[in-house]
Amino acid sequence: MPPKACSPACANASPARPDAMDFLVTTLLNALTLISILMLVGLGLAISFGLMNVTNLAHGEFVTVGAFAVYFVQSMGGSFWLGLAAAPIAGAVVGCILEFAIIRHLYSRPVSTVLATWGVSLILQQGLELTFGLGAKPVTPPIEGTLDLLFTVYPAYRLILIGIAMLTLLGVILLISRTSFGLDIRTVIQNREMAEGVGINTRRTYAIAFTFGAAIAGLAGGLVAPLAIVLPQMGVNYLANAFFVVIVGGVGSIGGLVAGSVFVGGLTSILNYQISPSLAQAIVLLAAIVAVRLRPNGLFNGASR
Amino acid sequence: MSDILLQAENVGIRFGGLQALEALNLTVRDKELCCIIGPNGAGKSTFLNVLTGTLRPTSGSVRFLGHDIAGLPLHRIARLGIARKFQIPSVFPSLSVEDNLKVARWGAPSPVRPVGELLELVALTNRAATLAGELAHGQKQWLEIGMALAIEPRLLLLDEPTAGMTPQETLATAEMLLRLKGEFSIVAVEHDIRFVRALNCETLVLHQGRRLRSGPFHDIETDEMVRDVYLGRR
Amino acid sequence: MIARDRNWLLIFAVCVALAIVYPLFADGYQLTVIRDALIFGLFAASLDFFWGRTGILCFGHAAFFGIGGYIMALVTLNDAIPFASLLGIMGAVAGAAFVAAIIGYFLFFGGIRGSYFTIVTLAMGVICQQAAVSWSSVTGGDSGLIGIPPIEFDLGGLHVDLSQDLPSYIFVSAIVAVAVLALWSISRGRWGTVLTAIQDNEVRAAALGHNAPLRLLVTFVLSAAIAGLAGALYVCMAGLVAPDLSGLLLSTEVIVWVAVGGRGTLLGPVLGAIFIQRAQQTISSFNPSLWPLLLGCVFVIIVFVLPDGILSIYARLKSLFKGRRRAQ
Ligand SMILES: Nc1ncnc2c1ncn2[C@@H]1O[C@H](COP(=O)(O)OP(=O)(O)OP(=O)(O)O)[C@@H](O)[C@H]1O
Ligand SMILES: [Mg+2]
Repeated sequence: MPPKACSPACANASPARPDAMDFLVTTLLNALTLISILMLVGLGLAISFGLMNVTNLAHGEFVTVGAFAVYFVQSMGGSFWLGLAAAPIAGAVVGCILEFAIIRHLYSRPVSTVLATWGVSLILQQGLELTFGLGAKPVTPPIEGTLDLLFTVYPAYRLILIGIAMLTLLGVILLISRTSFGLDIRTVIQNREMAEGVGINTRRTYAIAFTFGAAIAGLAGGLVAPLAIVLPQMGVNYLANAFFVVIVGGVGSIGGLVAGSVFVGGLTSILNYQISPSLAQAIVLLAAIVAVRLRPNGLFNGASR
Repeated sequence: MSDILLQAENVGIRFGGLQALEALNLTVRDKELCCIIGPNGAGKSTFLNVLTGTLRPTSGSVRFLGHDIAGLPLHRIARLGIARKFQIPSVFPSLSVEDNLKVARWGAPSPVRPVGELLELVALTNRAATLAGELAHGQKQWLEIGMALAIEPRLLLLDEPTAGMTPQETLATAEMLLRLKGEFSIVAVEHDIRFVRALNCETLVLHQGRRLRSGPFHDIETDEMVRDVYLGRR
Repeated sequence: MIARDRNWLLIFAVCVALAIVYPLFADGYQLTVIRDALIFGLFAASLDFFWGRTGILCFGHAAFFGIGGYIMALVTLNDAIPFASLLGIMGAVAGAAFVAAIIGYFLFFGGIRGSYFTIVTLAMGVICQQAAVSWSSVTGGDSGLIGIPPIEFDLGGLHVDLSQDLPSYIFVSAIVAVAVLALWSISRGRWGTVLTAIQDNEVRAAALGHNAPLRLLVTFVLSAAIAGLAGALYVCMAGLVAPDLSGLLLSTEVIVWVAVGGRGTLLGPVLGAIFIQRAQQTISSFNPSLWPLLLGCVFVIIVFVLPDGILSIYARLKSLFKGRRRAQ
């Protein structure tokens, strides 16, 4: 049975008014929605894949777990916002366990990491399916209705989503550039031995950074839940796209993350109007491969860390 | 003039803010042996990388048989007849000694020496079936020299061929190079003064990316400034 | 080295002998079960040829299996095409090889190896499956294409008709045996040795004059071509093609077959495919969603307990035994 998870792209809203300006703004906002989600999902991957050299194929499941957290809280009668608060916590818990039980034992065995995390991904998917049953899970957005922007009307929730994503990203930038934990991370990334030399516990720093990335991905899952089809198998599309983001953008800088997200998200959104989503995905993949061929170190290589 | 194999003119290279090499010249004639020495971090390996075309200099030029080789893919450079031994011994650990040499021969456009002869040359005949990863450090160095020989080079570049060898092994290596000298040109980067003394050839002394001195080794050896650099007085 | 080759050939001969006598004891249904398992075994061997020799994991190998399958289906379902079976097989092999060549060119010559390669091929698999689902005018969408005729062709006066169980079993066994033997002789000779060298130290191999990206590319294309062949065979035997033949789950399963059977042995993956599919059928008959769960567990177990596959148990026992004897 093929997983029919919704690709991040099919969350596009269709334009209501036909005029060009309206179309432009709608496309732009759709792209922005997708880019926001990709940035949040890609952040954790940039940390684990880009900086720790860990290929975590269970990263998509952090998104799934976040979305299911919202669904679960709502189905128990809680509000969406409570669910959204639970989403990053759920992501973090799963991430922390994964790091502790599996990943930290495999730092020197990259292929094994791939296999083991994929195994965990399958276990999580089936676990969710056995627990919550087959079929898509309904999640209702906190606000229905649209907002009248000057040129178009746009679903209000999507604007909120974009806002929350931007704020989160800003918070992450501040965290990394202003706090002592951020300094630890930067030191460990730049030179592991030296970091150990000056007394930073690199294992702990890795574990915290990994868990942090999982939490952000969980938040992304919570945010996207009302727009996406919530299924145990939904993670894989986010996984693939987030990897494109990291590969295209290059690793090691927030700038690269943004550039990669804009490239992948923007291209997907634009193509989605012209052609079928899967063809759009194929083109994005090819574009990403070509981009990597031309700029092997990412579009944003050389930017400050 | 026609017997010039490799010519580096006014080579300089920058890594970000670091001027790793500056205004270096080197001419290697056919079947000539020369050495490059210098303290740690002097830029010897970097210079070797420029000479083999692996690194593109930010200024100056390197020509092999009159062609600019900077930026060519590694295998093309090898097929032009440039062999090198890396500073970190890089043999293929999961292949046997014999297979290591075979792989090297297969890469050459027209290999001449049979594997048996190569094994003899680097004194590894009785270890032919051993996995290269299990060799002693000195033996790995020899195997790597053997692999470089297998491609029948016109120019052989050696980065610290005797690092980690016992004094006897070092002298044996020098003897081997002297024996091979008549067949092709050799450029050796080395720390070990005894080794360079045994080779007794044209020597270039690098210090902080610049030429400090160059000339026949016995002149270099008696040079005050070179001694100062090696003893860390500068 | 020589002893290892002899052992391999010995095991190969035993397998061939078993395959030959099996029809004497099995009924038609059992024959078709083994036949289909053997096709997946060929698919596993194709992945092992690449993964085992280069150390680079392709996470979307089912894409090539599916491409082969769909091409075969489209060619044989089109009445206007003569010699449909043969042309279909050729088209399947060529199509899979072509896609692998394009993707492989950009990746290998772009210096992409290791995890990056794994990720991109993973994405390729996801996209292939999506394309199979959504391009429904050609692929039949979710339900795929049905009614694919069995292989039938004339070759030098010999009429081959595989609509019966026994002929199709013999045909498939022969192809699998020949292909595995061919892959093995390629991978133990010069080609494979240089690939091992590249896996050990690519820069060193290049500095000796080897064009590493080209060699990886050719290996990848060959591997994909065999996967395409397996896909083409499979759809003719099954009579239908569906999107999950190019899907992520199959890509995942083939990795397990190879990993359990023993990476780099070529025969191990074939046996792994046969046995694991037996297990899968048994387990899935209890509860269909139990299987992926178990598959996940198998991945984790392989990594932590059996990194060299089932066959390594034997080697381990042997060394344990030897160690004891020496100690006495
Ligand atoms: N890729 C690079 N990027 C930045 N700096 C580099 C790079 N390669 C070398 N360097 C710097 O260039 C200088 C020369 O290095 P090089 O390795 O050539 O020295 P060396 O003479 O071979 O030393 P050793 O005796 O230790 O082998 C060093 O300061 C080194 O840190
Ligand atoms: Mg050096």
